[in-house]
Amino acid sequence: MSDITLVIDGIECRAAKGETILQAAGKHDIYIPTLCWMEGLTPIGSCRMCVVEVEGNPKLLTACTTPAENGMKVHTKTEKLKQYRLQILELLFAGRNHFCMFCSQTGDCELQRLAIEHGMDRVRYPFLYEPFHNDASDPNIQMDHNRCILCLRCIRVCAEKVGAHTLDLEKRGWATNITADLGKELGESDTCVSCGACAQVCPTGTITLRDFVYRGRRTDCDDQVESICPLCSMGCRIKAYVRTGSVARVEGLSAASPDGGQLCHKGRWGLPKSTERDRLTVPMIRTGSSFREADWEEALELIASKMGPSAEAGRAGALLSELSTDEELSVVSSFFRDTMKMDKVDGFFGNLLRGFVNGFKPFADQGVRPFTGAHNILGSDAIIVLGADPQEEAPVAASYIRVSAIIERAKLINVSCGRNPFEGLTDGDHRAASPKEMKKLLLSLRTLVEGGEENASPEMQETARILREAKKPVFVIGSALAENPDLVTEALNLAVASRAFFDDGLGVVPMLRGGNCLGALNTVIGGSDWLSESELDFLYVLSTGMVDEDKRSLEAMTRARFVVVHTPFMVHPLVNMADVLLPAPAWFERSGHYCTLEGERRRMNMIVPPKGNLKGLSVIMNELAGKLGRELQPASAAPCENVYEAKAPSSAAAVVPVKEVR
Amino acid sequence: MTMAKPKIASVWLEACAGCHMSFLDIDERIVDLLGKVELTATPITDIKIFPEVEVGVIEGALGNEEELHLAKELRERCKILIAWGDCAVFGGINCMRNFMPAEQVLKEGYVDTVSTVNPEGVIPRQDLPALLPQAIPVDRAVKVDVYVPGCPPDADTIYYVFSEILEGRIPTVPTDIMRYD
Repeated sequence: MSDITLVIDGIECRAAKGETILQAAGKHDIYIPTLCWMEGLTPIGSCRMCVVEVEGNPKLLTACTTPAENGMKVHTKTEKLKQYRLQILELLFAGRNHFCMFCSQTGDCELQRLAIEHGMDRVRYPFLYEPFHNDASDPNIQMDHNRCILCLRCIRVCAEKVGAHTLDLEKRGWATNITADLGKELGESDTCVSCGACAQVCPTGTITLRDFVYRGRRTDCDDQVESICPLCSMGCRIKAYVRTGSVARVEGLSAASPDGGQLCHKGRWGLPKSTERDRLTVPMIRTGSSFREADWEEALELIASKMGPSAEAGRAGALLSELSTDEELSVVSSFFRDTMKMDKVDGFFGNLLRGFVNGFKPFADQGVRPFTGAHNILGSDAIIVLGADPQEEAPVAASYIRVSAIIERAKLINVSCGRNPFEGLTDGDHRAASPKEMKKLLLSLRTLVEGGEENASPEMQETARILREAKKPVFVIGSALAENPDLVTEALNLAVASRAFFDDGLGVVPMLRGGNCLGALNTVIGGSDWLSESELDFLYVLSTGMVDEDKRSLEAMTRARFVVVHTPFMVHPLVNMADVLLPAPAWFERSGHYCTLEGERRRMNMIVPPKGNLKGLSVIMNELAGKLGRELQPASAAPCENVYEAKAPSSAAAVVPVKEVR
Repeated sequence: MTMAKPKIASVWLEACAGCHMSFLDIDERIVDLLGKVELTATPITDIKIFPEVEVGVIEGALGNEEELHLAKELRERCKILIAWGDCAVFGGINCMRNFMPAEQVLKEGYVDTVSTVNPEGVIPRQDLPALLPQAIPVDRAVKVDVYVPGCPPDADTIYYVFSEILEGRIPTVPTDIMRYD
């Protein structure tokens, strides 16, 4: 790849053709100051901090946009450049309100850092003092245009990574301003998905998140821990900042990572807000309408005494959160399934997962991995959304879909019973009145794609043509489809007919809501929905308190005679259902692994040590086993292992016949 | 031969006194410094008339006629003038009012504030120095020789600046100790 050589500041640098001067310099640890540039976003050369001198060229060139050329002699640190850069900084400071003393981002601000780096001890230009709007209309995101330097990072991340295209510029010259939805306040925007990416990339104090300001600058924090978001199977990487023992800030990893450093609205607000919720710190035992504190011994004794006979009688169940780590799922499944020989074990999303599992089965039986990494939506040329609402189910996947459709010009087709989640963006939109109609629709689409003669509408013909011609189609299938496994199978049939073959599996992305749904498949998800029917004497519930419980689970808890709730937070109505409450560590106090939709096993790291009188899950299960006179058995299934292992290439998949829809 | 100790005068204009407080944070080094310089008119000594001095120090922006007058007076009577802190260097927090006309500032302060009881809407004009149209950094009115930004500048920075001047040099604040907050 190193096919050109240039000299930067006297150092011979090798670079690949097409790389910019900035990239070439970066590879050789030559520092060039930047401000509007951000790794992962399209360089625009607007701030001109990165200007360099190139011998033989009378103009100053922006290193971030100028391609490196063979034999170029570049100077990055001359006195002339230093003066130009200083001048740029002074002009920026003179332009708007850049008085650091009353800005929440002082210390974290890139403009400030650069000005200090350039020794700016005065501003030689007249300050303009032009008042701009402070947009406080959004409940979470504050946008003070007086602090804006028009680097356009927010606009670029919103368009290129989130695909929302909410932000843009309005007006001209000095009056130029960032605006939402062509002239609305941010809080009134219809297109904003409240992901907060704009605030994460803002180099100044313009776009800030109310949850984080004045809770500690990044630079003042004691620790930075990389972890992952447990809220859905995308498993987005996060960076958490710790200050005086609490989580002060949660951010996406970096704009250069495949997901663009995004967090969706759930991760961005759900993770930090949860750190302030009421905690359960000691075991509690119900007395009438309230609880009393108990020690672990007493609580576990009580649980064992209720659980023993119920398990013998087959009237004990366990309901476990798919937001648990592989390690936690291993421990609980080894206890309930292998030690206690209970078969009534399930996850909160059990029904959804069974829908996918049963629908995938004919393909798994062929040895084909029935889905692919969600990042493959980027780079796809046709995306078919089947009964899914990605913005709700896995919002970063929705970002991928928007980016792919808008920027990469992929065709976008919706097939659903309900509304079109990408209204206005779709090239084809097919609605079915019922699941039965949906099946017919998928079947006739497949027939059309396979070249079968059918008297179909022009819209269907067009969609079939798109699928036929697509090189890398991806099928996004949602929970609405998973309610009927046959529809899942039919969707996969369509994928096979459309030759949606990726290296890691079929071009299908299932919308899995729990962070470790894939890990739960091997360990806790049972073959049938016992939860809806069973009358239980004993029910153990392991919840992370991060996702609202569904009706099915709550009803089962109401019916059960004795309920143990093991959760980090005092979440209602969950704790109201409990007879015994056991405290658990919260997401930021645990570590372990998650099987993500991207096909990677990602690690969740402990961000702060657990507070309160907690016991490890394996200790608890061991003690319970001991009290019940049993030996804790090793788990018969490892969580992430062999989950839809590809034994055959996806192109080997064959269409399977589907019976009449039930 | 004993040379006369260089004289220093400082003044606290439109600012919070934080820079002078930060100066006191040089702690025991003040004893050493007082051996080398003579403090004359300062907010600490409470001497109000500037004598002729070697070094003049201004904390704060210039927001009204009196402050403008004092800045000019100190400039005339000193050889080296230091703008001390963000207000003197950039205008600082006082510039918040520059985004509206001075008349509106007075109305806001004396009439419109929720906690104010002033039914006649009287704005004092006689007893107070008139506001300048805008609060301005010191160098918009008089020549400044040394700029020491910071809110406040660290005690070490202040000590460094005095030490350099005593060595006969006109310092610029090094980037590793410069700050704006």
